[in-house]
Amino acid sequence: MKKLFVTALLLIAVSTFAQTPFEKAMTEKMAKLDQSKTPEDFTALSNDFARIGDKEKTQWLPYYYAAHASIEKGRNLMRTGKVAELDAVAAEAQTNLDKAAELSEDNAEILILQKMIHGLKMMVDPQARFMSEGMLGADALAKAEKLDPENPRISLLKAEDTYYTPEQFGGSKTKGLELFQKSLDQFKTYTPKSPLYPNWGKGEAEYFLANKP
Amino acid sequence: MQTFIISKVLLLVSFIMGVFLNAQITVSGSVNFKNKGVKDVSVTLKDTYDGTTTDANGNFSFETSEKGNHVLLFSNPKFAEVEKNIVIADENIKINADMKEQISEIDAVVISAGSIEASDRKRATTLLTPIDIYTTAGANGQVTSALETLPGVQKIGETEGLFVRGGTGDETKFFMDGNLVNNFFGNSIPGVKSMDRLNTSLFKGNVFSSGGYSAVYGQALSSVLVLESIDFPEKNSVDLGFSPIFVNAGFQNVNGEKTKSFGISAGYSNIGLMTKVIKFNNNFTKAPEGLGTNFNFRLKNKAGGILKYYGSFDTNRIGLQTESLEPDTDFDNTSLQGKNTFHNLAFKQKFGKYLLNLGSSYTYNSNFINLSNTFQNREINPNSIDIKSNYFNTKAVLERKINKISAIRGGLEYNQANENTDVAVTDAPYKFKDQITSIFAESDLGFSNNLSAKVGLRSEYSSAVHEWNLAPRFAMAYRLSKNWTSSLAYGIFYQNPENKFFGAAPLDYQKSEHYILQVQKSEEGRSLRLEVFYKNYTDLIKTKVLDYRPLAINNTGEGFAKGVEVFWRDKKSIPDIDYWVSYSYLDSKRNFQNYDQSLFPNFAAKHTLSVVAKKFVVSWKTGFNLSYTYASGRPYYNFVTDDGGNYHLATEGRLKDFSALNFSLNYLPNLGKKDAKSFMVLVLAINNILGQKNIYGYNFSTDGLRNRAVLPSVNTFIFVGAFINFGIDRTEDAINSNL
Repeated sequence: MKKLFVTALLLIAVSTFAQTPFEKAMTEKMAKLDQSKTPEDFTALSNDFARIGDKEKTQWLPYYYAAHASIEKGRNLMRTGKVAELDAVAAEAQTNLDKAAELSEDNAEILILQKMIHGLKMMVDPQARFMSEGMLGADALAKAEKLDPENPRISLLKAEDTYYTPEQFGGSKTKGLELFQKSLDQFKTYTPKSPLYPNWGKGEAEYFLANKP
Repeated sequence: MQTFIISKVLLLVSFIMGVFLNAQITVSGSVNFKNKGVKDVSVTLKDTYDGTTTDANGNFSFETSEKGNHVLLFSNPKFAEVEKNIVIADENIKINADMKEQISEIDAVVISAGSIEASDRKRATTLLTPIDIYTTAGANGQVTSALETLPGVQKIGETEGLFVRGGTGDETKFFMDGNLVNNFFGNSIPGVKSMDRLNTSLFKGNVFSSGGYSAVYGQALSSVLVLESIDFPEKNSVDLGFSPIFVNAGFQNVNGEKTKSFGISAGYSNIGLMTKVIKFNNNFTKAPEGLGTNFNFRLKNKAGGILKYYGSFDTNRIGLQTESLEPDTDFDNTSLQGKNTFHNLAFKQKFGKYLLNLGSSYTYNSNFINLSNTFQNREINPNSIDIKSNYFNTKAVLERKINKISAIRGGLEYNQANENTDVAVTDAPYKFKDQITSIFAESDLGFSNNLSAKVGLRSEYSSAVHEWNLAPRFAMAYRLSKNWTSSLAYGIFYQNPENKFFGAAPLDYQKSEHYILQVQKSEEGRSLRLEVFYKNYTDLIKTKVLDYRPLAINNTGEGFAKGVEVFWRDKKSIPDIDYWVSYSYLDSKRNFQNYDQSLFPNFAAKHTLSVVAKKFVVSWKTGFNLSYTYASGRPYYNFVTDDGGNYHLATEGRLKDFSALNFSLNYLPNLGKKDAKSFMVLVLAINNILGQKNIYGYNFSTDGLRNRAVLPSVNTFIFVGAFINFGIDRTEDAINSNL
């Protein structure tokens, strides 16, 4: 009995410690992505990820999440109408995303964030920047789709674009919702390569589908 | 037994935890910039996961189990990184850091005194984009007409040219990709205003300077308009445009890698049909007719250098008959045949920290004017003026970046003008030759994100003037607060007397000095600019009639212009409506050319107001544009000459105030048809919709006893046209221009 107990204890200990410090730190911070609410929260989180990236030097994921946190900060600012700050935020995100891209070439997830960065920059002055940023964003997403056609986040970004584009311009809420549904279906079958791989977006698709107009 | 083990384990766990707890050292402190706490600074114990981000007051605190010598790194994109060495032992550490400003292109204050940047590339504070030009009612899609809705630019209807801040139309020069564009406007005869020769769609951006412009440009006493052509078209496309007054067609071809493109277009215009429908104030014996073609190519080399070529050829004809003011004639007849060819070649490449701009332009222009009078149905006094001119311009500019926001640039420019004027009734043709060699250097100095300066020097030698000049220029900008910036500019500007005035006496450069102070507020969707300026003119030419034409006799003319300008643009306050208002107050006096005393110039109005408003109704796929211009009455003068050819002011007066309300509508029927093969824009434009009877001045008989008003060619003009583009779906362009 005593032996058994000690073995069990040992096993528990091993299994907890099997998670490397890197994985532990990442898991902890990733959980914070959903809890962050204010631009300051996202800044702090982006800094945390960048810190992990700087220590590890070979992992693209920390820089990926650092960029993602900055992008979320940008979207947050956008919603509150602080469009003028987006250039600086996009630059922050770009710095980290470039570091991630250097460590992992031809990565669909990185290209997806790239498209979002172009989206942020475009929102600063849509009229003047559509031709440049809009085009670059579309290019990035097309590249991502080639690399990973079943990625639900690609459908999600397309759905968002279509949802917010007025009907007169070829977009529509209905078509947008169809794409959100497609994205949700993809989420059901899509499995990230590891627990640390990007796995965000499902909630957003669900939110749009649940709040059908 | 079991309880015993559990309690032991618990003890062990708590012991281990205790060890860990004891090992945790708290590192805390505050981060300041100029004695104020800075938020969002990342604090990192280098090469560990440990660290945190400062709070709103600049305070931070984190725990670490590391020991020994470490480096604490403080970073934030807005500041330069700060590193501090720390030794972690058994006690908590308190450490403060002071950040230093990081100079960056995004945050750096921009010098904007005197200049209005209209470009698609830079920042959100851009005031006028190419799309704005097309959607400004009354601008007829022309850059220069759209600029007339900005402060500082006079609304002059009887002749072409940008009349800026009390300057004449000749005091504004035009540049395409850095090269001088001679004959920017189409050839015309007095009283009929011609259009811009270069199409608005050629350009991706422009910088309009109403004063205090850079040392890279010269030979303009008042202002420069610097146009930058687009690099590569998005796609292959075919464009068609037709209306009762013109047809044109063109195509653009671009390869997939966007390293090569070429295009050609041609157009024909004729006002003839419209003169039958609308009542024109001019009696055309030959309604304005024009035929033009242009071609372009662009090449990109492997190192990213771009070579751009644009060339055009056009020819136009116009004939006018006006009732004569002279006793023994019934009518004055004027007709013109114009020819023009313009070629522009520009090359730009980066070599590490250096940017090289090379370019040259060539213009050949020919104006053949037939003059005669009609008396009792007989043509008398036939005469003709044949002006042929060749212009060549070449320029090299080398720029070196020093840090993110500082740079030095310098270069050389060479201009050559050859003009030949043959008046039938005189003996020999008049020939004019001039070569202007210029050297210039300029430095952009970014002292901090809140303070920057530009110092420049330009020197020119004109073979017609036989002298070097030296023109220093200075500008600086200071950010007063987050949204408010101030800038000031000073400069000396030289310009040769107009070529046609050379010949009677040795002449010197004409000179102006600009002093400009501006405050600007820009925030989300709104901008406000207040500008005051003083412009001092010296060495202006004085003219006298010699050999039947006005010739400059000396440089004793002088004058000044001063004023206050306000510009307000607001895309935010009224939903879906984008509008801007500009107001200019101008006070000016000049004694130059044929003025025999100091007078308020007849090409300037004291008060000018312009309001432009645009609304796009998505569900109707239609844009509605309105513009209103008001200018207080300009003075008019009649100078008569005595036997010695000297001018004397005989009559003067003031015109009634000018006002015009313009309206235009763009309908985009194919908008949103996702796979539409063509994209169409239908335009209806009505200039001066209220039919105001505006007068631009008076013409006087030789004895000064009779006069006639100078009127616009047409009081109210209606334009309908269709523009179709095959190949490019502009839907998204349209959406985003109306978000």
